[in-house]
Amino acid sequence: MRRQFLKKVHEALANPTLQKALDQNAERRERGRERAFSTLPNPEHTSQEAAQIRRQTIDNLEEYLAQFIKRAQENGIQVHGPLDAHAAALSTAEIAKEHNARLIVKSKSMVSEEIELNQTLEAAGIQVVETDLGEFIVQLRGESPGHIITPAIHLLRKDVARTFTNELNVPYSTDVTEMTETARRVMRKDFLSADVGISGVNFGVAETGTLCIVTNEGNGRMVSTIPPIHIALMGIERLVPSLENMAVLLQVLPRSATGQNLTSYVSLIQRPRAGAEADGAEERHLILIDNGRLAMHHSQFQDALLCLRCGACLNACPVFREIGGHTYGSAYPGPIGSIVSPGLFGIKQYGHLSKASTLCGACTEVCPAGIDFTKLLLRTREEYVKSTPQPAWLRAGMQLFTWMMASKGRYHRVQSIATIFLRILPNRGGWLYRLPPPLSGWTRSRDFPPLAAEPFHARFHRLKSTGNGLSKVAEKVQETQTQENEPLQGDLIVRFQEELKRVNGEFIQCSSEELPHKIANFLASIEADQILGWGKQIQDFNSIADHLREAGIQILEAGIPRSEDGNTRYETLAGLDQAPAGLTTCLAGLADTGTVILPSGVGQSNLTSLLPRTHLVILQAKDIYPTFDHWIRAGGREAIASSSQLTLITGPSRTADVEMIITLGVHGPERLVVFTTN
Amino acid sequence: MRIQLFITCMIDSLFPQIGEAVFEVLSLAGVEIHFPTDQTCCGQPTYNAGYHDHANSLAKRTIETLTRSDDPVVIPSGSCAVMIRKEFSELFREDPPWHQRAQALAARTYELSEFLVDVLGHTEFQASFDGRIAYHPSCHLLRGLGVQTQPLDLLAQVERADVISLSPDCCGFGGVFAIDHAEISSELMTRKIDAVESSGADVVVGADVSCLMQIEGGLRRRGSSIRCAHIAQIIAMKEPGLQ
Repeated sequence: MRRQFLKKVHEALANPTLQKALDQNAERRERGRERAFSTLPNPEHTSQEAAQIRRQTIDNLEEYLAQFIKRAQENGIQVHGPLDAHAAALSTAEIAKEHNARLIVKSKSMVSEEIELNQTLEAAGIQVVETDLGEFIVQLRGESPGHIITPAIHLLRKDVARTFTNELNVPYSTDVTEMTETARRVMRKDFLSADVGISGVNFGVAETGTLCIVTNEGNGRMVSTIPPIHIALMGIERLVPSLENMAVLLQVLPRSATGQNLTSYVSLIQRPRAGAEADGAEERHLILIDNGRLAMHHSQFQDALLCLRCGACLNACPVFREIGGHTYGSAYPGPIGSIVSPGLFGIKQYGHLSKASTLCGACTEVCPAGIDFTKLLLRTREEYVKSTPQPAWLRAGMQLFTWMMASKGRYHRVQSIATIFLRILPNRGGWLYRLPPPLSGWTRSRDFPPLAAEPFHARFHRLKSTGNGLSKVAEKVQETQTQENEPLQGDLIVRFQEELKRVNGEFIQCSSEELPHKIANFLASIEADQILGWGKQIQDFNSIADHLREAGIQILEAGIPRSEDGNTRYETLAGLDQAPAGLTTCLAGLADTGTVILPSGVGQSNLTSLLPRTHLVILQAKDIYPTFDHWIRAGGREAIASSSQLTLITGPSRTADVEMIITLGVHGPERLVVFTTN
Repeated sequence: MRIQLFITCMIDSLFPQIGEAVFEVLSLAGVEIHFPTDQTCCGQPTYNAGYHDHANSLAKRTIETLTRSDDPVVIPSGSCAVMIRKEFSELFREDPPWHQRAQALAARTYELSEFLVDVLGHTEFQASFDGRIAYHPSCHLLRGLGVQTQPLDLLAQVERADVISLSPDCCGFGGVFAIDHAEISSELMTRKIDAVESSGADVVVGADVSCLMQIEGGLRRRGSSIRCAHIAQIIAMKEPGLQ
């Protein structure tokens, strides 16, 4: 494995496309992360809080897991496991086969890569379509993801254009918007006709049994809303004790991962579709994956379970920046992979990864979960050396070095002999430029200093210590924490507007009286005469609907036929997909991220805010809260529990999977317009 | 005040004149310097390579050598200071008596610049330097010990010097990594010396000789005339260049 690794390192370093792509990734992601954290009132405090939550969760992992399973089952989610890789993949395939599934749409899930799920499903004769744009691209190319957040990190847009031309039979174009449009078109039919949707889980909330899924493109919403069966895969460590704790982690996860204050979509899935509800999967399964995690929990590598899979350590790592993700030969590359891969998949096969680090600590510095990477990398190295034969030169070198340094006399004697020996080697200006193996690795690119003729310890007795002086202890300034006041509603509107615009959302403020005209005018401007819509959160939605009807705009209520009405299902969905716009109300707005919160349920289809190109939302100013946490405490908790699938929407659907160029409207709407009324 | 000087095996063997500069700086700051003559290596190279049994014996030896006196220990190297201050405790995490001794030693161990600034409050040495100094914030010093401003505080007092700080990217040294993964190490070094050259610096200054050895080794190979210097060399107004 080590030899293979070194070979791949060599190839990666010699690949100019990869080098360029990795440089771009490192620079942009790091800048984005720093900017996003700087928008928090107290970034330091939030980071510490997040790390504490992770610590508390992992310290009590088994208790929270039991609670989570119980709650999820009470909510009607069918829980399987915890299972190991093979069993988890088989179990997923089993569920699909029971429902005679032929086509599965899947949103991004690293744990599915870990258990090699696609191979198992394909072996069972089921087609799996990866719907995250980056995953879609690497699937078309028959590759694996090169980064846990940015799967197609290793490709430039010309590579993607060529792949699309070859595999999708479209004209060659390097225009990223056009490529994204192609992906939207190609995958649309799959979303609407798939038998099963598979997703990962970012957080499982122990106290409520809620599944939290964080996405940008809208594919996560598609796969959990449209197909009749939804299977969610989750590593058992991805738990969070409470909704409030989840709100804190949601402040650090997108910031660390993509430099966003919040991703476009956060889905909070509570249960399967019930009774008369408009949509949502009729059956929800949760596959819990152990695959070595419980064993890891009882080992000295427990802290690796703190990870949120944000990928910040990859972006910060100078070694990852040189060699890229594929070189690591595991689903989890970079610093976190160098701990997790040996810890979960075997020290003998993956232990060498722990040595591909300078221990510079850049990963520890950016980790939102508070993982001490240096400590874990060093522990991994220790296990690796104990368990696996090392190169002879290293073994001998370490032995010799320790033998020498264990005695002052030996150290000084070897020093003088080596000084003479090194003198016969070729030098330039005194420095050596060609050392024998294994030290030749050094002199391939650097000169090496000769040993000093007279070491320091031999000189010391000549130096005179005066010792006349001062000692003044510097006083440390106590940091004072500033008190935060509750913000005013007017300020909240301003902040909401700013944040919404920053994420490419549009903001229109008007009075309740003006609202029907404003909406009608807007719809006229995009030539929409038949739209999807619902509005239970405001009293006068009916009068808006009447006004729109008078203006010649028809409002349809979206809904997915149940699976027993198999014949009409696809046609109905394809029909709804023709609507150019969706109009909804919402439960609340969040000022700090420019987010609107939408429920689901009877007469409140998710599709309304997901299928059309444009989503119009009516938000009452009084419903704007400072943060997600404020809303949870002010009644949001009940809303989450009563909605089968609640969604936080922050700007239009977006992707940056091709050369990190932001493109809007991948699978969800490309325009999000919020009408705010006083 | 009396201190124990742990000079590090690299300075002892390769760069003794840096040791002399360190001695001079500490003397100027008015401390009495004791040099425990039994010292060899703290064990960091073996520890970082995963040979914890080997590291164990060298760490115990170092603890014993530095525990004969209760005086503070001053180390002119960020990474060796991290080893003694943080990693000894980790190394002995399942060995309570040694763990306790390691923690006691850690509590009175300082890297040179942090000792001068935080403990002595002494930054003024009447040094001067004609030219541009590029400060290299080494990883272990910066992230391992959290020593960020102290070296810059010291350099700010150097008259006529134009001090800039390089970005805190790793130079690629990493101990055995430099040989084991020579290819990656070289790439990281190339980035660093590119940054050095484009900074217009006359000298690269740091507080970790291992990084400086990597950077000067690369600069020399490239034929550059830019040299490295330990911060003590600048304060003691010695000629830049590790040798």
